[in-house]
Amino acid sequence: MTSYALFLGCTIPARLPNYEISARKALNRLGISLVDLEGMTCCAPPPIQSLDLEASLAIAAYNICLSEEANLDIITLCSGCFESLTVANETLKQNEKLKTKVNRILSEAGKEFKGSIKVKHYLQVLSENVGKEKIRASITRKLANLKVASFSGCHLLRPSKILKFDDPERPHVYDELIEVLGARSIWYRNKQKCCGGLLRGHADDVALAIAREKIVNASKAGADCIVTICPFCYLTLDLGQVIMKSTYQEEHSLPILHYSELLSLAIGVDAKELALEFHKVKIDNILNKIE
Amino acid sequence: MENLKIGIFLSDCGKALAETLDFDNLTSFLKEVPGVTFVEKGTEFWKGSGLQEIVKTIKEQKANRIIVAESLPKLSEIKIVEAAEAAGLNQNFVQVIDLKDYCVWPHRNVPLEATEKAKATLLAAIERAKILDPIHKLEFPAVKSVLVIGGGISGIQAAEDLADLGFEVHLVEKAPFLGGIAARAGRFFPTDDCAACIQSPASDVKTITHTSRKCIYRSGIAAIQGLKIYTNSQVVKVDGEPGNYRITLEKKPRYINEAKCISCNLCAEVCPVEVPDEYNVNLVERKAIYTIIPNIHPPTYVIDEKACKFHECEKCVQVCPTKAIEMDEKTETTTLNVGAIIVATGFKEYDPSVIKEYHYGEYPAVVTNLELARMLDAFGPTGGKIIRPSDRKPVRRIVFVQCVGSRDKRWNNYCSSICCMISLKHAIMIKTVFPEVDVSICYIDIRTTGREHEEYYEKARELGVKFVKGRPTEISHDPESDLLIVDVEDSLLRRFLELEADLVVLATAMVPSEDTENLAKILQIETDEDGFFKEYNAKLRPTETKKRGIFLCGGSTFPKDAPSSSLQAHSAALKAFKFLNTGKIVKDQKTAVVNEEYCGDCEFCPVSCPYNAIELVKVDEKHVVAKVSDILCEGCGICVGTCPLNAIDLRHFKQSELRAQTKAILSVNKQNKPLILAFCCSECGGASIDSAGMTMTNYPTNVRIIKVPCTGYLRIEHFLEAIEYGAQGVMVVGCMNNGCHHEEGIKKVEKRIEAAKNLLKEYGIEPERIELFNTIFIEGDKFAEAARVMTEKLEKLGPIQFSKES
Amino acid sequence: MMETKEASISFSKEVASKYGGETITLCYQCGTCSSSCPVAKATEKFNPREIFRLVLLGERQEVFYSNAIWLCSSCYNCQERCPQTVEVADVFFALRNIAAKEGLLPNIYSEFASALINEGRIVPVSKFLERKREQIGLPPLKTTGIDALKKILAATGFDKLQLKKEVES
Repeated sequence: MTSYALFLGCTIPARLPNYEISARKALNRLGISLVDLEGMTCCAPPPIQSLDLEASLAIAAYNICLSEEANLDIITLCSGCFESLTVANETLKQNEKLKTKVNRILSEAGKEFKGSIKVKHYLQVLSENVGKEKIRASITRKLANLKVASFSGCHLLRPSKILKFDDPERPHVYDELIEVLGARSIWYRNKQKCCGGLLRGHADDVALAIAREKIVNASKAGADCIVTICPFCYLTLDLGQVIMKSTYQEEHSLPILHYSELLSLAIGVDAKELALEFHKVKIDNILNKIE
Repeated sequence: MENLKIGIFLSDCGKALAETLDFDNLTSFLKEVPGVTFVEKGTEFWKGSGLQEIVKTIKEQKANRIIVAESLPKLSEIKIVEAAEAAGLNQNFVQVIDLKDYCVWPHRNVPLEATEKAKATLLAAIERAKILDPIHKLEFPAVKSVLVIGGGISGIQAAEDLADLGFEVHLVEKAPFLGGIAARAGRFFPTDDCAACIQSPASDVKTITHTSRKCIYRSGIAAIQGLKIYTNSQVVKVDGEPGNYRITLEKKPRYINEAKCISCNLCAEVCPVEVPDEYNVNLVERKAIYTIIPNIHPPTYVIDEKACKFHECEKCVQVCPTKAIEMDEKTETTTLNVGAIIVATGFKEYDPSVIKEYHYGEYPAVVTNLELARMLDAFGPTGGKIIRPSDRKPVRRIVFVQCVGSRDKRWNNYCSSICCMISLKHAIMIKTVFPEVDVSICYIDIRTTGREHEEYYEKARELGVKFVKGRPTEISHDPESDLLIVDVEDSLLRRFLELEADLVVLATAMVPSEDTENLAKILQIETDEDGFFKEYNAKLRPTETKKRGIFLCGGSTFPKDAPSSSLQAHSAALKAFKFLNTGKIVKDQKTAVVNEEYCGDCEFCPVSCPYNAIELVKVDEKHVVAKVSDILCEGCGICVGTCPLNAIDLRHFKQSELRAQTKAILSVNKQNKPLILAFCCSECGGASIDSAGMTMTNYPTNVRIIKVPCTGYLRIEHFLEAIEYGAQGVMVVGCMNNGCHHEEGIKKVEKRIEAAKNLLKEYGIEPERIELFNTIFIEGDKFAEAARVMTEKLEKLGPIQFSKES
Repeated sequence: MMETKEASISFSKEVASKYGGETITLCYQCGTCSSSCPVAKATEKFNPREIFRLVLLGERQEVFYSNAIWLCSSCYNCQERCPQTVEVADVFFALRNIAAKEGLLPNIYSEFASALINEGRIVPVSKFLERKREQIGLPPLKTTGIDALKKILAATGFDKLQLKKEVES
């Protein structure tokens, strides 16, 4: 079993137990052990970076220090956390001046950033450490009829110079991980475009318009569902459809799933164990399409 | 041992210097110096009777070393040395000292001190005179034959020029046909006529008329005396020296005898093999035996050896009426002996497939300008019609995208200079013949800077070409309509556009030709950070390289249009002509020489030489020694400064001469001032000191000046010796950091000064006693200010306290 | 409203000297960022190229008194595509950092900051959720490192941000 320090972030524990439980179950079954560390904080994603970019580096670095002390690489389920922690990790590893500055701040909390661990998104762990073969071998249910609109969101891929997860113009890792489950990852217009999530709370009209475009494009292309790998994207598109109903009087009924939910179902986890009631848009059609 | 008789000629420059200098005092001082035979005073020695005076006095007094103190030494030096040579002296035994600018005009307010400084300066020249060696004139053979690498329009024209001048010219082209980019571009601006067009030859080529220009096929170049053309050929090795190069050429087989082929096309008609025609953008297919456009040279077919089935087929052999096909032709290696080389390898289009958001290579309807040119060419794959590559339907909407891969820090930072004009030319051609086609150009800036260029921009607007000021972020494909969508912001209208197009033309960057790097290694010439061949000086020597005998022209140094390429071709030809015309290269042996006993098998000097003039040569199984090529060496002395074993010296500026000058110039100090020794280079740095003098800018007289060939010559020992002989401070005055006339010298001496400072610290001496100054001629005031500041600093620091440990 | 000459020369320098804003002066206004921007396509209120134009012209007041800079969704598409390698999204962080220091920020950001300072998370976990976790078999949440975080926030001056509600959303 390979162990990783699980970094949950803020949104998942607060809003999405279904994401967390499907991820824990799937990863465990595939040989990944998740360690919960004490003392982690918010990762300082864009909302905090907007207030103080340098302080955000220090906050992210603090969380990395905890994992360095536990001698574990970090695994995240949220792309926002992935971006924030990876940018901090790589920037401080390469920039001596910033590293010194941040370590001075961290010393107040009794920590020192050494740059000894890696930060990985769980898709990365699945693709690089578990491997497609093992996933394929673990499949017990057929998803052959499922047409999936995969949505990787922004921060899995960009800024690509630092994250280096996949080719930002021709990403393929995520689609391959969907196809290995037996589902079909379909083309739809503006697939890589942002969901507008960060605008929620102060520019809701704009955020909703952006999210709506995505739902419409995926539906037009014949998708059965949209599959996400970030809690922000999930909320924007799932809860977003409820708001679209009241704002635009439109009912799209396009199920939004977390990739880990699809993965769990494919490798035989019982749907009853996955707290699927947390989906605002009901996913019964999807469950029916899966044997 | 020769009996040294040193003669000194002092000029008071029409009595102007006598107002400051005490010439009597000076003269009597100099007469007392051992070795000095006479001191003659005059008014000017560099004109008319003055020169005769020098010759007469030398002969009378039997002087064998002379020092002439003169104003305007740069003008007078040449005449004085000629006069001395006429009197039987070797040129190196003549020193011309600038008394006026060094010792008088900057110090007019302190005549006593000025006279002291004059004494010191002349004493330094005397002590140096005692150990000078003669410098001989060398002659190297200059073969009147030139190799031109690259058969595009600049290579062809440079070759023509030199052949017209009676030289033997070898024009070598990698492709099976001449023409380069011109063979594919269709038409060139600003004349809008055929691209494959060159100057008419000047020499008498019987039936060829002397008009302004000719198509290549009827230019008569194949008949010009002395011009040999090699196609399908490449330079694989270059040996020898400037003026006398040995070139190894590899000629790939054409499989067709050029003398017999009549271009009847019967072979191509029967050839069973069809392959995509990359010359025509793979829009059509060609046979394994083929030719390209008819107005090119040679008018001969060629076999594509990768596609042809050779003896398994032989259909073409059977039908050829002149039996021109030779399937067993092998690669030939030839050697040539030439005196100079002109590099005319041009440029090529950047491959935009790396710019993934534009989908070049993925969507067939995204093409480059050169590919569009093939379509627009009547000889091209579509007979001049513009079609959608996917379904061959006629095109109704075209969008040009400018600056693709240019002005882009991710790919090529520079502006490729000709792409705006190319797109405008194409847009005008399209709108003229197909006015119903909608043409838009997406741009960041429109650059029409040359002669007759702005008219293109005007004409395009007149014809209804739409200009969108915005750089597209993405080109996508709509599967329903099968149209391309160009996603761009019209920044002037502040509106987002999704331009639909049947064809998107990328004005892609122009980059160095294939194999440029390899050729640079073979020729041992430099390329710049973008991979283009580097010219000797961008402002004044655009068609020469640092290496004697190798010249550049055309797009090989930077993308440029046909007029500029032609201009450079003629310039390079002239330079090659000048270099070789007398049949010999004459050079003074003012070069470096290696003391082979001391030379220690390291590699420092060859690497340090900006002219690649030093080679490591095996003397036996275990040892190599450095050897300096007299023809390549420019006598800068950077190698002298670099050698860790102090095993190299300059014949015309030995380290012993520097030492003698240092000791002497610091020995005269009656006023007990804190002496500063200023080493200056012979270029910009030294010029700033001349300039301070010329403008009578005041600075303290304790600054004594010794000129060295290049500041890169200076070693740490030289600085320490200066201090040992009495300097309280050392100034090193050289060119700007990026302007060293020998490229690396100033940067190297900067590092050595840092090291010297550290050494001084260890000796307990203040490191700020030695400083570097970068100046150019117009910065005489900067030098003067630096001298003043340093003097003040030294006065504050007081005399050097050598610590007990040193 | 035109700024005084002094302010205009220094605004782009001010942004360039802030962490994240260093590359602003490379911008040559090609518009690639705007056409890459999902927000600019959805609303007229936000156009990154235009905002950069205002910065480079020195229009400090105009840039900060609108809430436009808060409309960037940090998707980084602009930064990927910019031909001058301007770190567009990061420059927006720098601009927001300057605005936040002067108390010019949307309400919700004040709320994020308060949550971070007081609880170490930007979204608090409700008791309902904690019980739900137990029900579905998730392990209880580990404690948040609020004490360590407080020290870090103090060391960076984050806790001194003027979280006034000045800007209309």
